[in-house]
Amino acid sequence: MIRVATDVGGTFTDLVHLDDRGLHVAKAHTTPPDFERGLLAAIDGSGLDGKDVEFFAHGTTVVINALLSRRGAKTALATTAGFRDVLEIARGNRPDLFNFAFAKPRPFVPRARRFEVDERIDYQGKVKRPLGDDALEALAEQVARANVEAVAICFLHAYLNPAHEIRVESFLRQRFPELSVVSSHSVCREWREYERTSTAVLSAYVHPLATSYLGALSTELRVRDVESELLVMQSNGGVATVRGALNNPISMVESGPASGMLGAAELGRRIGEPNVLALDIGGTTAKTTLIADGKVRISSDYRIEWDRTNPGYPIRIPVVDLVEIGNGGGSIAWIDEGGSLHVGPVSAGAEPGPAAYGQGGTEPTTTDANLLLGRINPDLFLGGERRPDMEAVERAFDGLGRRLGGSLKDVARGVVRIANANMVNALKLVSLNRGRDTRDFALVAFGGGGGMHAAFLARELMIPKVIVPAQSSVFSAWGMLMSDLRRDFVRTRVENLSRLPVRSVRKTFLTMEAEALQQCQSEGMPLEDCSTARFADLRYRGQEHTVKVAFPSGKIDEGAVEEAMIRFHAAHEQEFTYRLPNPVELVNFHVVVTARAGRSELARLPAGETDAAAARTGSRLVDFDQDGECMADAYDCSRFRPGMRIEGPAVIEDGTAAVLAPPRKEAAMDDFGNIHIDMRASP
Amino acid sequence: MTHGARQDPYDQEIIRNALVAVGDEMFDAMARTSMSPIIYEALDYSVGVTDGKGDLIAQGNGTTVFLGMIDSLVRDILAKFGERGDIRPGDVFISNDPYEGGGTHLSDIAFAKPVFWEGELIAFTVNKAHWVDVGGMSPGSFTTDATEIFQEGLQIPTVKLIDEGREQEAVFEILRSNIRLPQDSMGDLRAATAACSVGEARLHGLLERYGRDAVLAAMAGLLDHGEAMIAAELRKLPQGVFEAEDWIDDDGLSDEPLKVRVRVEISEDRFLVDFSGSAPQAPGPINNSRTGLVSAVRTIFKALTNPRIPANGGCFRALEVVCPDETVFTARRPAPVSTYWETMLYAEDLIWKALAELVPDRLTAGHVLSVCAIIIAGDHADTGEPTILVCPLVGGWGAMHDRDGLNGQFSVADGETYNIPVEITEARYGVHVEEYAFHDEPGGEGRHRGGKGVVLAYRIRSESATFTGSFGRFKFPPWGVAGGRNGSRNYAEILRQGQRSDPPEIYGKAARFPLRRGDVVRCVTATGGGWGKPEDRLPESIAEDLRNGFVTEEQASSYGA
Repeated sequence: MIRVATDVGGTFTDLVHLDDRGLHVAKAHTTPPDFERGLLAAIDGSGLDGKDVEFFAHGTTVVINALLSRRGAKTALATTAGFRDVLEIARGNRPDLFNFAFAKPRPFVPRARRFEVDERIDYQGKVKRPLGDDALEALAEQVARANVEAVAICFLHAYLNPAHEIRVESFLRQRFPELSVVSSHSVCREWREYERTSTAVLSAYVHPLATSYLGALSTELRVRDVESELLVMQSNGGVATVRGALNNPISMVESGPASGMLGAAELGRRIGEPNVLALDIGGTTAKTTLIADGKVRISSDYRIEWDRTNPGYPIRIPVVDLVEIGNGGGSIAWIDEGGSLHVGPVSAGAEPGPAAYGQGGTEPTTTDANLLLGRINPDLFLGGERRPDMEAVERAFDGLGRRLGGSLKDVARGVVRIANANMVNALKLVSLNRGRDTRDFALVAFGGGGGMHAAFLARELMIPKVIVPAQSSVFSAWGMLMSDLRRDFVRTRVENLSRLPVRSVRKTFLTMEAEALQQCQSEGMPLEDCSTARFADLRYRGQEHTVKVAFPSGKIDEGAVEEAMIRFHAAHEQEFTYRLPNPVELVNFHVVVTARAGRSELARLPAGETDAAAARTGSRLVDFDQDGECMADAYDCSRFRPGMRIEGPAVIEDGTAAVLAPPRKEAAMDDFGNIHIDMRASP
Repeated sequence: MTHGARQDPYDQEIIRNALVAVGDEMFDAMARTSMSPIIYEALDYSVGVTDGKGDLIAQGNGTTVFLGMIDSLVRDILAKFGERGDIRPGDVFISNDPYEGGGTHLSDIAFAKPVFWEGELIAFTVNKAHWVDVGGMSPGSFTTDATEIFQEGLQIPTVKLIDEGREQEAVFEILRSNIRLPQDSMGDLRAATAACSVGEARLHGLLERYGRDAVLAAMAGLLDHGEAMIAAELRKLPQGVFEAEDWIDDDGLSDEPLKVRVRVEISEDRFLVDFSGSAPQAPGPINNSRTGLVSAVRTIFKALTNPRIPANGGCFRALEVVCPDETVFTARRPAPVSTYWETMLYAEDLIWKALAELVPDRLTAGHVLSVCAIIIAGDHADTGEPTILVCPLVGGWGAMHDRDGLNGQFSVADGETYNIPVEITEARYGVHVEEYAFHDEPGGEGRHRGGKGVVLAYRIRSESATFTGSFGRFKFPPWGVAGGRNGSRNYAEILRQGQRSDPPEIYGKAARFPLRRGDVVRCVTATGGGWGKPEDRLPESIAEDLRNGFVTEEQASSYGA
């Protein structure tokens, strides 16, 4: 039996599959805009027999690409009369404070296609103005005239009482069977009308495209005799059936990055490291998240195109809570008008790529700097397919050298140190800034650059251990292999917990669980495999921001509520340094349904030679920053075996990645092929 | 270099970035722990780090209005306590004095914590935030009809809130008994001191890792870098002398407009602004203090030169602000100041107006300008709990030389400011929101059209409530540029029992107007000024506006195309 995961990246589409003999990797070029072609090429190149496949998971960038390139459907919005401009007013914020030429994000639905519906529900969920047949007919006429492919529906307070949305949704489906219809309560049950409207609009905007893409892919898989159901990676770190994914296509928005973080958690659980800082260093960005007690943090505070200068567009769905910075192998180093050196966020991308690619890149990048420092083996560059163009690299660094002084290596070392400092800041954001001590965590580093930078970051943050997973460059796809089916259900219902409204809390959770299980079943999740978990977003009365805590499973009584509050006080103090005597409010109920997708055991590599000399390929000069330039032993990763143990300075490498062990630090391989560097050891 | 040997340039870069990040971390810590919507939704606060001498090193801002407040507060502390050797580890200072360092109005409460390293005063971590209420004659404290500062709330001259780690219980008690919502505000106080501590801990981390000399060198380097970045841009500005004048509606007590003016002198290395000739300080609460004036000028100066780089003291070395004492921009005690921002923003807007056509890539035509702050106070219609809804409103921005203005956006005074969602407004304050949409009043026509203002209508559901609002640019709407028409005005209209009076009951300023169940307050904000002649607008743009309902048929015909 074979388990398959496919991850569509910016440059390559990775396919990994796991059988009795272990993990296999196939790659094909990514083929925008018809991403399924690249994927099918990878399948065909892997030599897989479809009939043997029992699990097929897919991470896709189709949704995020459609959003970023504005290639979604022509969409309309139906909303409460008097509020059609909510989508465009947005929150009125201007993060680019001192820029008076600020450009506000343009709404995905222009005003002419935002239709008002005569209805109103109040903040307690009571109908103030009933929805009449006339209103429905008026809407149908506007929708017909607008000639749209998709309609989003968002009414005020629908998070509490969705009756009007449900009625409009079924009316439109009946009247216009071809139309994609998405109502806000079905994608988000939280309050804040702008955020919910935005979520519904973006979901409708990508719905037609996602439907046709997943439909075409399912068909092609059947043609290749793949009988097992296509599972789609979701932003919440789980997979969903195609039907489930299409109920809320926007949940695929962070399909790729989520799986790497999930993989880090899963790996940690299996090798006895429940506390992990996960770091994925790719070509253009680095992403990180903190995993405590084996749990990946999930948050609904997600936005696209959001940065220091742009308010972006909110999407209120559960997304793996990660910090992403514009700092990867292709990030360009540059000097500003005040003479300061920066690295990123602009990237050389895949075209032209770093100067070393010899494809016309003239800007110095982090990858080029790593080559100059000996950290990348030129014989293995780009899988050994191509010699790095070192003349182009030197030319690219020449300008920096003249401005900053020092040798070529000094400048290269400086560039990497600044890139590392950027990543250290990102790691701090998810750990120290939330009251977590980095000394209690292991750094799991993956992606093309993970192993090369990890030890330097760990030293800076006093992280005792670095783990670079086997096949670290395709680790995100591996994470997908390990994922469960997962659906999240979040509902805003504000309760003052200090008054112990146990009955009301119980009723809400039980109702949600019943509805959630029913929906999961209708999406093809086998009910007998499903299990539920409860979470609650709590805050002190008067506060705005909430803290998510696990709500006790089992019986919901006063003891359970008490326990949730105890957890909240502790979590609040950990994150914000204090607790208050104020009443505690429950704001969001959160139910997670998961079903095992039958994941497999990790394959143990056969024991064999334990003398690392057998894997040694030679030695070369490598720059270890503050430890200086050292003659480092080089080892071939494919010949490195469990039980082998080396002391730095050393590099363990293959054509896809390099792991650097600094002087006096020990590196060893575990039974599963992961490399561990002990950062404490200083023999 | 005064700090020992030559520092490693890459370490310096890393420390400088980390110092800027300290501002961000303090900002985040405060937003996440605050109890009041005005802080967590409106983000009406600012945090910062200064060096030991009070030079601004890094600042995290939710709004632009505090850009001169952080460093001037520290200088005030240094003058008052430093000279008598009374600044010690574990101290936290508190202040809301409008006339001294960091002053705006009493509603903004500032905290500052000195940071020591091996016995040496290295830095201060500071924050300043708008509290929902600080006492005084009016719920929400700021009001449009005060005649002296004593009516505007509790005055806290700069004092120690925490003395070498010991909380001064007397100060806490005075605070608690003089404000209307002590529970929320004491939560905000905790958030503020926690933010100061976060900043201190991060600075200590840097000092430990890199050492005193390297960190001090990085602070000095940041200031020099700020200066160099701005200098490069300053040289690109048009040189010469530029002037503008305008009118402020009135002071809230009389109906008399107040004239204000500016003279801007730009040379290669200096940016001098002179407000001489502006109206004297007024009896009503629209007065602004000198630190407010400096903040305003810094903001537009940053917008004109380099909006992107993190602000620090070095950025403003080329700036010189001239204004005699006791003008409406530089009021003296005990003038009331609680709606100071209306006047402070005119200081920005005058420079803006003087330079808009000359720096068209960075400046728009006139925008909503006023924060349009409102207060609705009363008991919650369903729970009976006392509530105070305080919020700013979004309005239209001016057109630019190459595009229409922004629709429904907060004034330049605000920034990372969020409107309060209708769903939360209704639940928390028990009012009913009837409408939140762009209005269709004429104004802002031009080759490029001014952005649309909004109407936000609240219906009162409780027995009774009061309404306070300050809508500047009620008499003098946002200005057009190059033949573009002026925008529309800001105002509030009261519909008694939902009915329009004859003549309509319309105000630019309202102080504690009594309302009854069923009354509606319609807040209407300005459409921004246009740019270029209306007859030059492309017919397809007018057609598009008609489709979107951004202009009425009648307004479309007024374009004369």
